[in-house]
Amino acid sequence: MQQFSDSKIGDLLKKLGVFGTTSIVTPNTILINNVDDKLYDLCRLLIEELDAYYSTSIGVDERPLNGSFAVYHVFVADKLGLYILVRLEASPSHPIVKSITPIIPGADWAEREVMDMIGVKFAGHPRPYRLILPYDWPSNIYPLRKDFDYNDKYPIKDKIDKVIHGSTEYVVDKEVLEEEYTAVPIGPYHPALHEPEYFEVYVDGEKIVDARYKGFFIHRGIEKIAETRLTYDQVPFIAERICGICGFTHSTAYCLAVENAAGINVPERANYIRSILLEIERIHSHLLWMGVAFHLLGYDTGFMIMWRIREKIMDLAEELTGNRKTYGANIVGGIRKRFDISEEKIPYIKRLLNSVKEEYLKYIDKIVSMTEIRKRTREVGILTHEDAKKYSVLGPHARASGINTDVRKYRPYAAYSEVDFKVPVRDEGDVYARIIVRHEEVLESISIISQLLDNLPKTPLRAEFDFIPEKRIGIGCTEAPRGEDLHFVITGYGNKVYRWRPRAPSYNNLASVPLMLRGEKLADAPIIIASIDPCFSCTDHVVVIDIKTGRRRKLVSR
Amino acid sequence: MNRFRILLQNIKRGVVTEKYPLEPIRVPESFRGKPVIDVDKCVGCGACVNACPPNALTLEEDLNEGIRYIKLFIGRCIYCGRCEEVCPFDAIHLTKEFELATTSKDDLYQIVGLRMYKCPICGKPYTTIRLVKKVIDKLPPEERSLVLICPDCREKITAANRSFARR
Amino acid sequence: MSSLYRKSLWVFHLNTGSCNGCDIEVLNAFTPAQDAERFGVKLVGSPRHADAIALTGPITREALPRVIRALQAVPEPKIVVAIGSCACGGGIWHDSYSVLGGVEKLYEILEKKGIKRPITVFVPGCPPKPEAILYGILLARGMVKQKQKGRIYVESESAELMISKDLIESVKEQVMSSKISRKQVEKITSIVR
Repeated sequence: MQQFSDSKIGDLLKKLGVFGTTSIVTPNTILINNVDDKLYDLCRLLIEELDAYYSTSIGVDERPLNGSFAVYHVFVADKLGLYILVRLEASPSHPIVKSITPIIPGADWAEREVMDMIGVKFAGHPRPYRLILPYDWPSNIYPLRKDFDYNDKYPIKDKIDKVIHGSTEYVVDKEVLEEEYTAVPIGPYHPALHEPEYFEVYVDGEKIVDARYKGFFIHRGIEKIAETRLTYDQVPFIAERICGICGFTHSTAYCLAVENAAGINVPERANYIRSILLEIERIHSHLLWMGVAFHLLGYDTGFMIMWRIREKIMDLAEELTGNRKTYGANIVGGIRKRFDISEEKIPYIKRLLNSVKEEYLKYIDKIVSMTEIRKRTREVGILTHEDAKKYSVLGPHARASGINTDVRKYRPYAAYSEVDFKVPVRDEGDVYARIIVRHEEVLESISIISQLLDNLPKTPLRAEFDFIPEKRIGIGCTEAPRGEDLHFVITGYGNKVYRWRPRAPSYNNLASVPLMLRGEKLADAPIIIASIDPCFSCTDHVVVIDIKTGRRRKLVSR
Repeated sequence: MNRFRILLQNIKRGVVTEKYPLEPIRVPESFRGKPVIDVDKCVGCGACVNACPPNALTLEEDLNEGIRYIKLFIGRCIYCGRCEEVCPFDAIHLTKEFELATTSKDDLYQIVGLRMYKCPICGKPYTTIRLVKKVIDKLPPEERSLVLICPDCREKITAANRSFARR
Repeated sequence: MSSLYRKSLWVFHLNTGSCNGCDIEVLNAFTPAQDAERFGVKLVGSPRHADAIALTGPITREALPRVIRALQAVPEPKIVVAIGSCACGGGIWHDSYSVLGGVEKLYEILEKKGIKRPITVFVPGCPPKPEAILYGILLARGMVKQKQKGRIYVESESAELMISKDLIESVKEQVMSSKISRKQVEKITSIVR
């Protein structure tokens, strides 16, 4: 967190105060209320003058607190290290607010999700269709409202084995479908994909004309469970199971958000251990992705080689934490006691990292310069710099299109302000650039871990604090292997969270897939979809499913 | 040419496959495997039941027989280790076993049943005998009697005292 | 069961809404370090070619119709290997409203449609190690013996509460000084012996 000199904040508040009432909620978050008509001018000022980008939108049912619904738009001013929240209020009798999608296309999905889950309508949204709920959901039941019980189980109807094909709720552009086109569905269960999702790709011969995505098969009700059944210290465990590959970043981001809201200072040793485990996760995720990418390009030997090199990293994670994947080390205020790194393990870790680096470098140059790999990845799936900015893409996907952004460098958290590393950026924007960006990040991560192990400080592992104050807003941001991971928390009563919203990076990145697919050949579709490193389970975190019965029936199940 | 160099490197590397299951594999000391309840130390207090995130540990009482059951279902356990951290009597530990496949669901349960202690005034069982013994050992003599009576009767006696003393 | 699958077992991998931890471990079992193909186990691309289904994830409501269709496409006799704590018992979201909660609840729905309950092997873990998944698949083939057994312990009746005499005296004193009725005092001292 960066502290600001008084004059800088004073100027900023004066500039923003023209549009509404401003207040500082935490040392790096500004909240703007009562915006009303000046919403579009405020958004233009934030994007053009302050060079901020739009991150996400969150809907909160604040009726128990102040009698209304609220929608928060989050803007991130990367170079200043600030978060700016724009709060819009909607009364329960007339829940309509103005939509910002006409000027910011990246807000499309987030606003539709608020419409599905809280029931606030956005006037002026070009495509106000269902995003997460199935097509036959009754139109007046909203799961994230406070009067909906988390374990209402609805009875299953007999018609469940009729599968509805086609994304019937999407409106297809008329000029695209003037001639005869064939639709090729890829999914939900296709051998090339590891998760259930449904891409509909419209083709003309071999060329792709348009693509539609219907996903959200993996809704499980995480946000609702965390608000009702779990306490503050149990939520890191459910946050880790949002995704099996980048789980530790989610639990770290949640802990950072709660510590930000409550003003807790985490001791230094806990910060260092958190950073070491985060970098181990980044290395294993990038090696996994490279294996999957080579498999989709048809080079199975590369898949086996990358996963064989990755086994050593999994052994290291098992030695340090007791499990290969879900580490379970985080708790609010620091690290649990059994995850301390003792002095005897440090030489072993350094030896292992050196052997991994040697073996990795022996293979990767040869594989990437093979003719088949080069010809299938250069100039394929290009995303231009302007499009990348418009859709607010994140992570290595953005860095391969020329945007210089990294949470570890510009908004440092944990122990990243104590280490020295480069941020790799390339200009081409094709699949080859994304492979090279991830390759360089692996080498940087190995160097970061060595620097951290040399200077491990001796402090306690967990901060002492009495209680967590209520009704405070906190934002926690980490750099997941796929991009920026943002968690928004409002602390609540009775040792529970009031509202928790994890926004994974694939949420923003998936919106750019139809752009990249247009004009490419059908055989390139799997590698283009896989090159953004989609993590569909991170994206589908909120549950939403119900069967239309005409009226609500409660069935409490054991 | 590159693919032949890769082939030669692979041949030089040799066989990397483990010989499992023909030989056992080594797991590190800090491995988080199956949790096991020590039946001699458990007193049935229920601290683990409170702390378990997926409700794999549950508490059920059979009031007719007077037995309290602590049930551990390892099919739903997430192997986090919170139960081991919060147990005040050191009665549950995570072992290093990971070969837990079974063909029937009943094999995944570990059930510990402890006898309950009945209140001498109203006859209702309200806690386990082991817990009462442990608590009596720690209290000074003049406060021990209050533990032996169930909370409802204790309320009534305290209220009777107050009203008597006020007279 | 072991007589049917003496030679090889072809597995179809089905993800019904899991976080992908178990799916990556299933794929890991086919990489050079663990190598399940030594035993004739292979991943196939269509349920119609499969002998067994590796099911991961608590079954979500949106994926349910497709899961039933995929299960109906596997020819008899079939084996279901439920991998991970989500498939065995529902996992950490066993009572959420959009999740069925494991394979047992799925079998209740299948019985209503007249499909026979398949042979099931449960592999708990979050996520289970690739070696544990290999152990589960070989158990279905009959190559290894089951190690995990359920345990029930009930305390015996003779464990009685022994209280020393001076404790009984102190209880008597306290109760007398609290001035409750004589009948209740006699009841307490007679039982606490």
